[in-house]
Amino acid sequence: MNCAECRENLVAFVERLLDREEALACRTHLHTCPDCRAEFKTITGLQQRLVARGQAATNVSIVEPVMRRVRQTQSQPERNTIMSMLMKHRWGLGLGATAGAAAVALTTLLGTPKIQAAAVEVMTKGAQAAARLTSIHLRGQLRTAPAENFSNINPDCEFCAIELWKKFEPQLQWRVEKPGRIAVMDGQSTLLFIKPDEAIKFPQPSSSAFDTQWLHEMADLNKTLENELAAIKTHGWPVTLTHEQGTDGKPKSVITIEARSGLLAGDYLKNKFFATADTRRVYTFDDLTERLESARIYLHAASGDTLVFELDQIDYNQTIDPGVFQIQLPADVVWAGQMQMLPDNEKYAAMTSEQAARALLEACGREDWTEAAKFFDPLTAREKQNLGGLSVISVGTHFTSALSLLSGAEFVPYEIKLKNGSIVKFNLSLKRDGRTHRWFVDGGI
Amino acid sequence: MDLTDKEYVERCRDGHQEDFRLLVDRYQKPLFAYLAGRLRDGRQVEEVAQESFVRAFLSLKKLRKPESFYSWLLGIAGRVAKEQFRVRERDRRNCEVPESLTVDAAGHGEDYPLEEAIAVLPESHRQVILLRYYEGLSCQETATRLDQPLGTVTKTLSRAYALLRQELAARERAESTINQTELP
Repeated sequence: MNCAECRENLVAFVERLLDREEALACRTHLHTCPDCRAEFKTITGLQQRLVARGQAATNVSIVEPVMRRVRQTQSQPERNTIMSMLMKHRWGLGLGATAGAAAVALTTLLGTPKIQAAAVEVMTKGAQAAARLTSIHLRGQLRTAPAENFSNINPDCEFCAIELWKKFEPQLQWRVEKPGRIAVMDGQSTLLFIKPDEAIKFPQPSSSAFDTQWLHEMADLNKTLENELAAIKTHGWPVTLTHEQGTDGKPKSVITIEARSGLLAGDYLKNKFFATADTRRVYTFDDLTERLESARIYLHAASGDTLVFELDQIDYNQTIDPGVFQIQLPADVVWAGQMQMLPDNEKYAAMTSEQAARALLEACGREDWTEAAKFFDPLTAREKQNLGGLSVISVGTHFTSALSLLSGAEFVPYEIKLKNGSIVKFNLSLKRDGRTHRWFVDGGI
Repeated sequence: MDLTDKEYVERCRDGHQEDFRLLVDRYQKPLFAYLAGRLRDGRQVEEVAQESFVRAFLSLKKLRKPESFYSWLLGIAGRVAKEQFRVRERDRRNCEVPESLTVDAAGHGEDYPLEEAIAVLPESHRQVILLRYYEGLSCQETATRLDQPLGTVTKTLSRAYALLRQELAARERAESTINQTELP
């Protein structure tokens, strides 16, 4: 194979579309030709940038919120999304029409001929049944550390309770709680409290925050339906429908969706959060009420599937005590704040993530909390007590995730000995602050 | 068979407002990636993206080149992101409680020039890039979706890479010239 042939086949080679013989010829040429090898690296580099951008945006769907607002500009406000769209198309279906016909219409609309119409039918009816809610209260359990991020999953942890209260009228208010952290949106502002003494507040209402979006989507079946169908359509995720008799003796429809994160095996963030996990999602609908009754999410792993989330109680349209959307903070709460520009900021902005990790850990060792706070703020009394006097055993070379191009996170392996003698070996997650360009701790300590 | 941007825009202008969802569906992911390079917070990205699409819909009649819908949308999104930045800066100054929602208005973000470069690709090339990378389809699936032979898709992809590289290099050169000009 010469250079011209190699260049002509390079994209097909990168895409693994060449047969074995052609691929071997291309590979052999690349080994011997530095110019073509440089071209190959440029293409794969560009491809990696594109893959990272695409992966980061994979789970997003704002079609319905946008269309809702578009419709509001044209007509009276309405809460339904997909169902109202069906009505607007005047196919003679209407909300009371047969669900089977609605399912066919929906499939046509979304261009998803491969989706099993029966599964779509069940989800469509569920969305219809969930429309015009005044409130919802979800109770479930999640395998995660109690104080970890709301979307963190860890199959090695015990289950801990997680709840969402959401009131839609007269204004949106919500609260998400697990044993170690509470997020509240009272209609005016949005607050996160990490027990026992850390908090952050945004001075505006938010429809979801602090990585609670996945749970909010459970409460908004229209959005869940839209997201799941879009993902099924895009990625060809398998979807199945079975009919079962529930423990209450009533008929149930069970939809199972095999969801894939798109991250490669071995990526550091893979399977650590809902958005980065390969999961099997099982939604159970009551055939009589047509409402979503429960949901279970299993984490796929080489060792087998593990149940990581179980939503076992859903209360629709019940009165929620206004006190749920208030939160009493301890008097000594430490507020997280914006990073401040330092007089010698350039010195810190020029650091690599490894240098920043070492500087932070050594400052903790010296109990120089002013220096440590340049990387890790706020440091609570509890954290100072835990980290003060540590000795650094090693700081490794940083690594990244496929999502790092977007998030900017770098992970630095470290090993330290705490003053109580225990050894901690983990990866510090560092990100650059957009304003000061200094590295700050985003997790891992 | 999917319609072109121009055809969807014209249908929306003719009163088929529900067709706008097909443009949102086509461009929401690259718009998210574009905004994620400018904004640090996922919620802000979603809010700004929604606002950008809605403003685009309301201004469709003003769009002089319907085939340039995506490029025009990125311009709107850039302006909305800057507005959000100013509003949040004002809120932050007026509020004692600090917060970490930060817009990288200076453009020190990630790879958003990539989306800008994608926006100026010819539509046939842009669609292949969007389906392959933002919709996560394989080349074969892309070929099926576009009803084209596989070989056509790989050739289009190859040409799209070359155009992207040219565009990115031109942008880097322009940036470099600006930086050098700013030196004392």
